[in-house]
Amino acid sequence: MKRKVMALSMAAVMAASLAGCGGGSSSNTTTAAPANDTTTAAQTTAAAQTETTAAQAASGEQVNLKICWWGNQIRNDVTKQAADLYMSLNPNVKIDIEFTDWSGYWDKLSAMAAGGNLPDIIQMDYSYLNQYQKSNQLADLTPYLEDGTIDHSKIPDSIIESGSVDGKCYALSLGSNAPVMIYDKAITDEAGVTIPEQPTIEELYDIGNTIYEKTGVKTYYDGGMNMMAIIARGNGSHIFDDIENNVVDNLTKHFTYVDQFNKAEAAISPDLLAEKNPDVVETKPIVDSTTWNDFSFSNQFVSVVKAAGRDLAMCMYPQAAEATSQPMYLKPSQFFSIAETSQNKDEAAKFLNWFTNDVDCNKILMGERGVPINTDVAEAIMGDLDEDSKLVFEYVTSVGEIATPIDAPDPAGKGEIEALGKTKVEDLRYGDGTAEDIAASFLAESNKILTEAAQ
Amino acid sequence: MSKPTTAPKRTLAQKLNREQVAGYIFVLPFIIGFLAFLALPMLMSFAFSFTRYNILESPTFIGFQNYIEMFTNDAKFVKSFGVTLYYALFSVPLRLIMALAVAMLLVKNSKLSGFYRAVYYLPSIIGSSVAVAILWKRMFASDGVVNALLQSIGIPCDIAWLGRQDTAIWTLIILAIWQFGSSMLIFLSGLKQIPVSLYESATVDGANGFQKFFKITLPMLTPTIFFNLINQLINGFMAFTQSYIITQGKPRDSTLFYTVYMYQSSFTYNKLGYGCALAWFMTLFVALLTLILFKTQNKWVYYEA
Amino acid sequence: MEKSYKTKRKIITAIYHIFTFCFAMVMIYPLLWMVMSSFKDTNEIFRTAQNLFPSQFRLDNYVTGWKGFAGYGFDIFFKNSIIIAGLSTIGAVISSAIVAYGFARCEFKGKGFWFACMLLSMMLPFQVIMIPQYILFNRLGWVGSYLPLIVPQWFGQGFFIFLNLQFIKGIPKDLDEAAKIDGCSIYAIFIRIILPLIKPSLVTSAIFSFMWRWDDFLAALIYLSDPVKYPVSYALKMFSDPTAGSDWGAMFAMATLSLIPIFLIFLTMQKYLVEGIASTGIKG
Repeated sequence: MKRKVMALSMAAVMAASLAGCGGGSSSNTTTAAPANDTTTAAQTTAAAQTETTAAQAASGEQVNLKICWWGNQIRNDVTKQAADLYMSLNPNVKIDIEFTDWSGYWDKLSAMAAGGNLPDIIQMDYSYLNQYQKSNQLADLTPYLEDGTIDHSKIPDSIIESGSVDGKCYALSLGSNAPVMIYDKAITDEAGVTIPEQPTIEELYDIGNTIYEKTGVKTYYDGGMNMMAIIARGNGSHIFDDIENNVVDNLTKHFTYVDQFNKAEAAISPDLLAEKNPDVVETKPIVDSTTWNDFSFSNQFVSVVKAAGRDLAMCMYPQAAEATSQPMYLKPSQFFSIAETSQNKDEAAKFLNWFTNDVDCNKILMGERGVPINTDVAEAIMGDLDEDSKLVFEYVTSVGEIATPIDAPDPAGKGEIEALGKTKVEDLRYGDGTAEDIAASFLAESNKILTEAAQ
Repeated sequence: MSKPTTAPKRTLAQKLNREQVAGYIFVLPFIIGFLAFLALPMLMSFAFSFTRYNILESPTFIGFQNYIEMFTNDAKFVKSFGVTLYYALFSVPLRLIMALAVAMLLVKNSKLSGFYRAVYYLPSIIGSSVAVAILWKRMFASDGVVNALLQSIGIPCDIAWLGRQDTAIWTLIILAIWQFGSSMLIFLSGLKQIPVSLYESATVDGANGFQKFFKITLPMLTPTIFFNLINQLINGFMAFTQSYIITQGKPRDSTLFYTVYMYQSSFTYNKLGYGCALAWFMTLFVALLTLILFKTQNKWVYYEA
Repeated sequence: MEKSYKTKRKIITAIYHIFTFCFAMVMIYPLLWMVMSSFKDTNEIFRTAQNLFPSQFRLDNYVTGWKGFAGYGFDIFFKNSIIIAGLSTIGAVISSAIVAYGFARCEFKGKGFWFACMLLSMMLPFQVIMIPQYILFNRLGWVGSYLPLIVPQWFGQGFFIFLNLQFIKGIPKDLDEAAKIDGCSIYAIFIRIILPLIKPSLVTSAIFSFMWRWDDFLAALIYLSDPVKYPVSYALKMFSDPTAGSDWGAMFAMATLSLIPIFLIFLTMQKYLVEGIASTGIKG
């Protein structure tokens, strides 16, 4: 199940591109360079476009593609624009778009799957990938990657692998993400502390205490699955492997940390935490300065900054002091998959190719779904980004340099285990049981869920 | 009492005029709609309740396993059932009392009554959109309006209403009470149906306001009360959105409504079979309560002869 | 004596209005907060939530909100909502009144059974029949159109059937009997006697039906696919995306606008609510 990742190669390319850009902002001569690159890239793809258009015009058959995604206003707007551009370049293709909100999306998709009419192209999430693949709803993209329909020469292998199950690719990543701790630099400065690039949890605890003493601002510690996964990864394991194999050590460690932070005076109280709800960007406790830090994925950074209305900074997820392996990883923000039931898989694959590799398309999308996976494309759009988005790009690159392979796609039962985890953390925070008890009962119950879901 | 005339042969018009026939003709739209759109999905969901079904793959028959699991090995089932029972127990009567009280207040015709009716109905108009979720959270936030209001009358208060296990459910109950508009409208129409002449003769007999309320208004309103009671009871047990959009069951499942758990089981945890079993248990439970209420009907509900 | 009675009444009326008015203000405060928030900058909504009034009234939220998504503006969504809610309501009100009369005034075999089915239809949570119903409508080829949203409404809705039923039961049977003696058929009695008398419950049904259909997004979510067909309720949800970021300001703005049609319906219809039996002067 474990996969080998070539995060380094991607990181290297990206770092090179970023260096160019970073320099660009300071001197006039170099600004022109990336711009030139862009034009060349655009020309290359434009040329490729003409070829495909010609080929299709020859066949001349009218094709309808249905594409479905979740997202907000920005994503809906830019994706529609991209689809329109594709249609103008490929007059024989008509794209029907369909968009919805995140929670409704999965209800709708399961209804569609039950009715056997999934759209041709489906936006897919890492936590649902396994499930849809296991029930044969997704088409195997490997042939398209092999015959070049989907050009992956500029896409790191690790990215392709992140959408693969058992060696076959079922989902094409649309952008990269990394777990992140967001913090308020104004507050840390006021308290006179500096946040290391990758703090340890012990450091975080001390820093939190200092900040509380100096400023009265509270600390938030992530008790969720993400942190659980980081702890397990730091110990060279994977959270779902632990659960499957009934290994309690990493869980105990996780819940002990949660308990330690919860008992600290510097930590946000469970009441207030439940009220604020860090799961929603705009109500995160950092937004109204109840806390000085928060945990998230890098693609949310821009939204959090916008909601907070002030500058925020990023550092890597904290890891246990005695961690033996690097827990940080890159995660596909979301994928496009092709439905197994689609009648137009070839055309859908062509669209996917264009969506990931075309510079003009990505100049419309502007990394809204995360840092583009095609390194040339990422470099090409870099110059047009705003400051916060640039920070995100840079952060993802720096994580890419040290990242270890991401855990295998979440197994069936993940949703329920995540909910269980939340309940267990609440039990702990509200003082109902010791960390050891909670870890043991979480393990027993989640193991049961996993076994049942696998049936 | 309404026997048709004893003519040996009936014309078509006469046949159609028989209650047996006319009854079916009137009810036919419902029967057709029920059979066409509801019966089959209901049967299917009942059948699903005996299967393991993750929606994406075809269901596997597992007998009564879902039901056994529910009753023997599911703490969340017990918890969410308890939460829902508690919620219904308080929200249903309080909402009805509020609705009736305001309806009594507004039944009086004045120049402003149209305006008042509109204002009191407004909270119900916003229904249960996502906006309500944000709205309600802000009202009950620790730095929110409710605490500010309590502080202004001298009660020092910085409770995180939504964060405490004992208070969170009450924010949802208060929401239910706040949105009393639909019951109020029905009470209003019910009140308007009471003949004025009854009050007039009572006034002549020297009855005071309280006597009129208990001797005329309340008895004459029983069909409406009965309707509202049944309806709110169903609503109370089937309540979903409030918990789903505002608290998601937090903290510690203290606001986890039964239907939310059912929904999570079906879609978030991909156990539609189990979700169906949960649903059918609740449906039977509510049906039983309704049946009991219907049985008591002739003891207290007063219909025109 | 006469005079002091008048003053006393005036005082009572004044107290009545003061009380009713103040209480009304408490009731609509949260709503006012929402309307005011729609004029605030999104991050102001959360950071200065204690203040009712925005630091400055901005219409930005209305402008960005009205644009809608991917070129489909809220003008389209509003039009769709009116079509869906309007057609559903007409169907639901008419069919439910007809069915209610059958249950209320006719004795027929199987009445108890069908009545139980009607109650059952009110009790079954939609979420569990969602998937089977989708499969059914998909077979009928209705998915993607408004048919699954509107057509079922034309076959009587449990809540409205029950509501009308209770009102019809409240109408004295003498009226029916008298009409029967005059030679009216059961159908004529329904149209000429009963329908005019249950106007309040018809109006109530219409208000509720319109409001519920207007607010419902689940059916739209499941059955509609082309954004050009989306209703307001469904479109509102798309301002929020927990995985990326939400524009609550625009959502509040559009949510505020979406209240207007329901409110107008209520205002125009509520005056019929007061025309009960009492005002038509019929006595049992």
